[in-house]
Amino acid sequence: MGSQRRLLPRWRHRGVRLVLQYALVVAVAVVVNFALPRLAPGDPSDYLAPPEGGTISLAERQEMLARFDLDGSNAQQFSTYISKLFQGDLGISVRDGHPVTEVVGDRIGWSLLLMGSAVLISTVLGVALGFAAGWRRGSRRDLGLLSGVLTVDALPAFFVGLMLILAFSVHLGWFPVYGAVAPEGLSGWAWVGDVAERLVLPAVTLTCVGLGAVFVVARSAMISELGEDYVFMARAKGLSDRAVRRHATRNARIPVSTAALLGLSTLVGAATVVEAVFSYPGLGSLAFAAVRSRDYPVLQAVFLLFTLAAMAINLLNDLLYPLFDPRVRKVGT
Amino acid sequence: MSRERRRLLRPSTLAIAATGAIFLVVVIGAAVFADLLAQHPPDRASGAPYQSPNSDHWLGTDDLGRDLWAQLVHGSRVTLLVGLVAAALATALGTLAALVAGWWGGLRDAAIMRLVDLVLSLPLLVLVLVLAAYFGRGQTVLILLIAGVLWARPARLLRAQVLKLREIGHVVAANALGAGAGRILRTHLLRRLVPLLSSQFVRAALIAVVVQSGVAFLGLGDPGQVSWGSMLYFANNASAILTDAWLWWIVPPGMALTVLIVGLAFVGFALEELSDPQLVSHGPAPPVRRRLDPTEPEPPPADVVLELRGLAVAFGGTEVVRGVDLQVARGRMLGLVGESGSGKSALALAVMGLLGRPGRVTAGATMFEGRDLRRLGREGLRRLRGRRIAIVPQAAMSLLNPTMRIITQVTECAASPASGTGGIQPTGAVGEVAERAHAALERVGIPRDRHRAYPHELSGGQRQRVVLAMAVLNRPRLLIADEPTTGLDVVTQWEILDLLDELRAEFHFDVLLISHDLPLVAARADDLAIMYAGRIVEQGATGDLVARPQHPYTRGLLNAVATVSGPRRRPIPVAGEPADPRRLPGGCAFAPRCAHRSEVCSDSDAPLRPLASALVACHHAPLEAPEPGAAGTAGGPGNAGEVAT
Repeated sequence: MGSQRRLLPRWRHRGVRLVLQYALVVAVAVVVNFALPRLAPGDPSDYLAPPEGGTISLAERQEMLARFDLDGSNAQQFSTYISKLFQGDLGISVRDGHPVTEVVGDRIGWSLLLMGSAVLISTVLGVALGFAAGWRRGSRRDLGLLSGVLTVDALPAFFVGLMLILAFSVHLGWFPVYGAVAPEGLSGWAWVGDVAERLVLPAVTLTCVGLGAVFVVARSAMISELGEDYVFMARAKGLSDRAVRRHATRNARIPVSTAALLGLSTLVGAATVVEAVFSYPGLGSLAFAAVRSRDYPVLQAVFLLFTLAAMAINLLNDLLYPLFDPRVRKVGT
Repeated sequence: MSRERRRLLRPSTLAIAATGAIFLVVVIGAAVFADLLAQHPPDRASGAPYQSPNSDHWLGTDDLGRDLWAQLVHGSRVTLLVGLVAAALATALGTLAALVAGWWGGLRDAAIMRLVDLVLSLPLLVLVLVLAAYFGRGQTVLILLIAGVLWARPARLLRAQVLKLREIGHVVAANALGAGAGRILRTHLLRRLVPLLSSQFVRAALIAVVVQSGVAFLGLGDPGQVSWGSMLYFANNASAILTDAWLWWIVPPGMALTVLIVGLAFVGFALEELSDPQLVSHGPAPPVRRRLDPTEPEPPPADVVLELRGLAVAFGGTEVVRGVDLQVARGRMLGLVGESGSGKSALALAVMGLLGRPGRVTAGATMFEGRDLRRLGREGLRRLRGRRIAIVPQAAMSLLNPTMRIITQVTECAASPASGTGGIQPTGAVGEVAERAHAALERVGIPRDRHRAYPHELSGGQRQRVVLAMAVLNRPRLLIADEPTTGLDVVTQWEILDLLDELRAEFHFDVLLISHDLPLVAARADDLAIMYAGRIVEQGATGDLVARPQHPYTRGLLNAVATVSGPRRRPIPVAGEPADPRRLPGGCAFAPRCAHRSEVCSDSDAPLRPLASALVACHHAPLEAPEPGAAGTAGGPGNAGEVAT
C-alpha cells in the first residue's frame, strides 16, 4: 500500500520514504489533536472554569488554567504541548487530577487483552468460514454461511452484549457481569482464572463485530483466486481438492491480511460500546468517560494513541506484505 | 484455453437481495406510517411508568411512562434519517475526492490518499464521539460528523475505479478529441461508477446507522430525539435486563436495528456482487451421471489411445461441441485446428473433466485405455489427470502459482496422491520424489540453480518449460497441448514445440495438439482435424489435407496464411464472422460464410463422410479444383503444400 503514491520525492530506499510518510501523518495528527478542542465552539478553559461561574476567583481560575497549560497565547500553548509531548507528559486528567499517562497506562493493558483476543478469534474464524464459503460459491453451504455471518455481523454490539449478559450472567449465572478483574485482591491462578472468566463475554461480543468484515474479504479473496489460471493448472495436474485449496489459500492470504489489519479500527470503535456495556476498564470506556466529563486532556491522549496505533498497523501491513507475496520482495525498486 | 465466462445473477444472490429488500421495506414502512401505527406520542409520558404490555400500551411503557411501541415505530425515522442523509453526504464527498484524486493525480492524489488512509484507519465511533464532545450533540452535527469520517471508504474504492476507467479506450479517445474534462466526467465516468456508487451508498448507510445507534446507546445522541439506540440507553440505565422488561424494552429495538442493518447488509452485498466485474463461474462442475447408458461401450482397437464418440458439450443451454468423433492413434500426433470459439478448448477440458460451470458433457463417450472416462466419476478422473493424461494449457503466463517456488510446484505433481482421497502419498521416498522433480526441470532446460526461483523471476518461455516438466513428470500416456505457445514470441514458440517433440520421442506419449494456428500445427502433426462451430468438418493425414483440402472452410484457413516460398500470393482471411454457438443457422453452420453454399446447405447439416483418404463434412465435396486466387474459398493446392514449412 502506498507504494505507488508519492507525497515525498523518490527516495532511493522504500523504507525511508515509508517512515517519512508516516512521520508526516503523525505530525499532522498531533497538530489536529492540539487544534481540535481550540477550534470547537467554546474555549476549553470555559469547560474547566466558567469565567462568570462565580464559584472560583479570578486568581484561582488563572492558577487552574496554568495547571492545564491553558494560559498564554495559542503559540505558547502549542510549544508547551509539543515539548511536554516529547517528554512523555500528556498533561493531567481534569476528572481525577492524575497524570494522563498514568490513567491511560492503567487501561491500555486491558484494552490490548480484550482487543487481542477478539481480533485473534474473529480473524481465525472469519478466515476459516470465509474460505470454506468461497470454495464452493453459490452452494447451500456458502449461502448459509454468508447469510448467517452477515446477520451476526448486523447485530448491534450493545444488543449482543446485553443479550449475552441476560442469558449467561443473569439467568445462567456462568459469568460475572462487570469489570475485568474481581475487586478483591486475587493472586496467581485464581487471578488468571477470574480475568479469563470476565473476558469471555466481552470478547465474544467483540468477535461478533469483527467477524463479518474478515469473512467477506476472505470469501471474495478465495473466489477470486479460484478463478486464476494457476488454480486451473493445479486441478489439471490432478491435485486433490485439499492441495488445490492450499494453492488458492496461499494467495488469498494477501488481501485478507491487509483487510484484517485495516479492519482493526472498526473493532476499536466497537470496543468503546462493548466496554461500556460490560464496564470493562479499557481505553474505549475511558474515552467514553472522558467525553461525558469533557476531560479533554484524556480525550486528546486517547485520540493520539489511536492515531499512533492506526499508523503502526498501517506500517505493519506495509512491512508484512512482502512476507506473503514474493513478487514485492525486491527492495528498492 | 478460452474458459467460458458468463454473467449470472445467482439464485443465492437473488434470495439474499430479496430478503434484504423485504427487511428494508418493513423499516421504511414503519417510518412512513409511524403516525398511523402508534396512537401515543413517543417522547412524552402517556401513562404510568414501567407498565407491562397491555391493550393500551402494546409494548408497555418506560421509566418515564412513555409508550414503548410509539418509540419503536418513531425510532425508525431518526435512525433512517441519520443513516440515509449521512450516507448520501459521505458518498458525495467521497466521489468528489475520488474524482479529484484519480483524475488529476499528482500531489493532489497523494495528499488525498494519505488523508484517506488516516481517516480509514482511525476508529470511526471513537472519532465521532471525540468530535461530538467538541462540537455538540445535535442531530445535524451528528450527521455532519458521520459524513465527515465516512467519506474515506467510498473515496478509496471509487478512486481505484476512476484510475481504471481513465485507461479505458473511449475515455482516452474523448480526451484526445478535446472534450472538456467536465464533460468526460459527466458522460463517461459517472455512468460507469454508478454500480459501485450504489453499493457504497448502502454500505455507508449501514455504517452510519451503526454509529448513530452506538452514539445514542452511550447516551451521547441528540437528547430530543427518540431512536432505537436511545431506547436501549434508557433501558440499560433502568436495568431492564434484571427484570422481565427486557422482553419488551430491549429485544424490540435491538431486533429492529438488526432488521435494518441486515436489510442494508444483504442489499449492499447483492449490489456489490452485481458491480463486481468478476462474476465468474469457477471450478469443475459436479459430474452428471444420470442418463448414462448402463452398458459399458466397446473399447476401441488397441492402437487407438483416445477415442471420442459423439461427444457433446453444452454451456448452459448452448451447445459448443456438437457430436464429435475423433481418434488419436498410437504414435501419431493429432492436430485439432479451429478458430477461437469453435469448441476445441471445451473439447479438451471435457476430456480432462475440467469443464467449469455451467459447462457439462451432455452426450457421448470418451474412451481412453479401454474405459469411458465419463464413467470414472470425479475422483477417478482426478487420479487420471497429470498421471495418464496430462495437459499443457495456453501459455497464459499465470499458470504457475506466484507465491510458490517452481520446484515445489513440480514436486507436488510427483507427490500427489496416486490413490485414495486422503493425504499425500508419495509415489516414492521424499528424496526420490524431489530428485525426479529436479531431473524433470533440468530435462526441459531449467538449470538447477533456478529451481528455487519464483515464477515471476522466469521468462514466459521458461514458465512454459516448467509446465511441460510438470506434464511429463509422471510419464503420461497422452498429452493434450491446448494452444501451448500462445503469448510467446515466435522463436520461443518453436523452441517449446521442438522440446515437445523431443520429450514425446523420449517418453513415448501421444499428443493432441490444439491450436488456431494451422501452419504451426500442420508442421508438427501427423493427422489434422479441422473444427468449426463445435463439429469436425474435415479430418485426414496432414499431407493430404493440406495438399487437397476438400472443405471450403479448410481451404479458407489455408488461404488465410501467408507463405514464404512458392508464388507470391496475398493471404485472404476467411470471409464473414465466426459462428456464434448461441445462434447457429439451420443446416451447415459454415453456410453463411461459404461461397459454395446452395439450398441443401441450409436444409441439412452435412455428415462427416469418407472421401478418398479423408473425412469431410460438406454437401459439395469433392470440390472442383479452384481457380487460383478466387476470393474467400479457393486456394492453390500447389502452394498450400508450402504452408507447412
